Amino acid sequence: MAGPAISRLNRTVTARHATHDPAWVQWTLTAVALLFLTLFLFVPLAAVFTEAFRRGIGPYFDAFRNPDAISAIQLTLTTATIAVPLNLVFGVAASWAIAKFNFPGKSLLITLIDLPFAVSPVISGLIYVLLFGAQGWFGPWLAEHDIRIIFAVPGIVLATIFVTFPFVARELIPLMQSQGNDDEYAAITLGASGWQTFWRVTLPNIKWGLFYGVILCNARAMGEFGAVSVVSGHIRGQTNTMPLHIEILYNEYNFVAAFAVASLLALLALVTLALKTWIEWKNPAAHGAEA
Amino acid sequence: MSVEVRNITKRFGKFVALDNVSLRVNSGELVALLGPSGSGKTTLLRIIAGLEFPDPGSAQVLFYNEDVTNLPASQRKAGFAFQHYALFRHMTVFENVAFGLRVRPRDKRPAEPEIRSRVAKLLQLVQLEPLAQRFPSQLSGGQRQRVALARALAVEPKVLLLDEPFGALDAQVRKELRRWLRRLHDEIHVTTLFVTHDQEEALEVADRVAIMREGRIEQMGTPEEIYEHPASPFILNFLGNVNLFQGRIHEGRVVIGGAEFQATNHVGESNSGAVAYVRPHDIRLTRERTGQSSLAARILRVNAAGPVVQVELERLDDHSQFGVQLSKEFSRQLNPQAGEQVFVELQNLRVFAEDYSI
Repeated sequence: MAGPAISRLNRTVTARHATHDPAWVQWTLTAVALLFLTLFLFVPLAAVFTEAFRRGIGPYFDAFRNPDAISAIQLTLTTATIAVPLNLVFGVAASWAIAKFNFPGKSLLITLIDLPFAVSPVISGLIYVLLFGAQGWFGPWLAEHDIRIIFAVPGIVLATIFVTFPFVARELIPLMQSQGNDDEYAAITLGASGWQTFWRVTLPNIKWGLFYGVILCNARAMGEFGAVSVVSGHIRGQTNTMPLHIEILYNEYNFVAAFAVASLLALLALVTLALKTWIEWKNPAAHGAEA
Repeated sequence: MSVEVRNITKRFGKFVALDNVSLRVNSGELVALLGPSGSGKTTLLRIIAGLEFPDPGSAQVLFYNEDVTNLPASQRKAGFAFQHYALFRHMTVFENVAFGLRVRPRDKRPAEPEIRSRVAKLLQLVQLEPLAQRFPSQLSGGQRQRVALARALAVEPKVLLLDEPFGALDAQVRKELRRWLRRLHDEIHVTTLFVTHDQEEALEVADRVAIMREGRIEQMGTPEEIYEHPASPFILNFLGNVNLFQGRIHEGRVVIGGAEFQATNHVGESNSGAVAYVRPHDIRLTRERTGQSSLAARILRVNAAGPVVQVELERLDDHSQFGVQLSKEFSRQLNPQAGEQVFVELQNLRVFAEDYSI
C-alpha cells in the first residue's frame, strides 16, 4: 500500500508545468530585457531631465519665457488641436465603413490607411512640397491666389494629419470587426435611427479603443519631426514646432533650453503612457485583445 | 395580426439562400423554422425583420396584411432576438429594456414614469426584476436571452423573431428555457417565428413547424403531422434516427428480402426499386419466425444504458446493419444476447422511390 502512495507523491513534487522554464533561463531573459530598457529608455530619459536642470530651476524655466519657445509651443498645440479631431472623425468614419460594410475598394482603403506607417515621414513631407511648393503642381495657382501652404502653418498641419491618420483607424478596425453588427441590428429593430444607433450603441462600444487611438495620435502629432521639418522652413517664431525648436536650440549649443523643451515632450510621452496603462487596466478589451 | 412572406428569393453571389419561399404565420401562433445550417432559415428571418432584403421581383413581406417589403427595419416593429443576445454591454438590464422606448421620437415617447412602469412589468414577465441594475456581463446566458426578449417585447412588436435563441446555451438550460418560452407565449400570445436546428426543440415548443432545406420549405405542419407523416426521406432523417431497408414495390406492398410489408404511406403500383424507412422503435424482435413479415438477423451489440435498450443488428441475407430500440420491460422478457439469431418485424414503414436523394 505504501509503495504506490509514495511514488505518486514524488511525482507530484517533481511535476513541472510544460511551459515552465528553468530559473536561470527566466532570470537571464529578464536581465537582458531590463538591461536593454535601461540603456535605450531610462538612461536617455534621465539624461533629458538631468541636462535640462543642469544650471538649476531658473534657467530651466527661462527656456519657456523665450518668445520663440512660446510660439513653438503654441504652434504645436494648434497643430494637434486641428489634426487630432480631424483624424478622430476620419478614423471613426473609415473604421465604421471597413468594419460594418462590404464595398468595392475596401482592401485598397485599408492599405491606404497604413500608408503613412510604411512611408518615411521625410518622404511624406516632400510629397507636400512637390504638390504645394513654389515649383510644385499647384504652386503657381496657389501663388496667384496668395495662399501659402509650404513654409507656413497649413503645410505643417497637413503633414501632421497625414503622418498621424492611421492611429485612430488602426485601433478601431479590429475592435469593431470583433464586435460585429448584431448590436447595431438590435438597435435598429428596436426603432432607433442610424444616428441614434451610432451615438447610443456604436460609440459607447468603441469609446475606450477610440480614446486609446486618440492619445497615441496626439502624442505623435505633437512629437512629429521628419515630415514637419521638410514643410516648415524653420522660420523662428512662425513655423517652428516644439521638436523643430529643440533641434535649433541644440544646434546653437543652447543645451539647457533644448533639453528643457525636450523635457516637456518627454513629459507628454510619460502622460501618454500613464493614460494608456490606465485604459488597459480600466478596460482590457479596449486595445483589441478580447477579455 | 398575421405575418406572411410571398415568393421570397435571395441570392448571395451564386449561392441561392432562398428559392421562392412563401410562408404564413397566423395571429398568435408560435412557428418554428427548422433546418440544417445553410438551409436559409436565418436569412428568411432577417428578411422578415428588414435586416436583409429579398432579391427584387414579386417578393412581398406582409405584417397584418399590410405590405412592409420596402419599409426599413427601424419602422417595421419586428422584435428580434439574436443567438448571442446582442445586449448593449454599457447599459444596465433596465436601460437595455427601456432602449426601444427611449429612442422614439419625442412626440411618441412615453413619459419617464410610464417607461419605468413598463420596463418593470416586462422584467417581471421574464422574471428578472431583481437584476434590473446589473450589467449584461454579470448575467448568465439564459438570463441574457430573457433580457433580450424583454427588450424586444418593450416596443410592442407586431411579430417576435427569434434567431436560434437558445443556440449558445448548454443542454440543461436550453430545455428549461424553451419550456419557459412556451409558457411565456401562452401568456402574451404574440405572433412568433423562431429559427432552430434542433428538431426536439422545434417539435416541443412550436404550434407549427416549417422544415427548410436548401432554400425551400420542404414541409409545414403541426409537430404531430410532421412526425407522423413526413413528406420526404430528408425530413424522416432530420427528425431522428431511422433505418433504411432496400426493397421493391409490388402491388402496393413493399418486398424486402424474402418478406412482404404494408407501407404506411401511399405507394405506387409500379414494380420499381424503393427504400423503406423504419424508426428504431417501430421494429419488433422475436425468437420465432412469425409468418411472412419478418426478416432474419443477428444481434451485434446490446446497450442497456439509458431509458431504452439499444440493439444493433445485422441482416442475415444482405448483411446490412440497423438499430432497434426496445423498452426496458420488453428487453427483460426477451433478454437479447449479442451473437444470437432473431427475427425482426417491421412496422410503420415509410416507402419512397429509390432515386429520392437525401
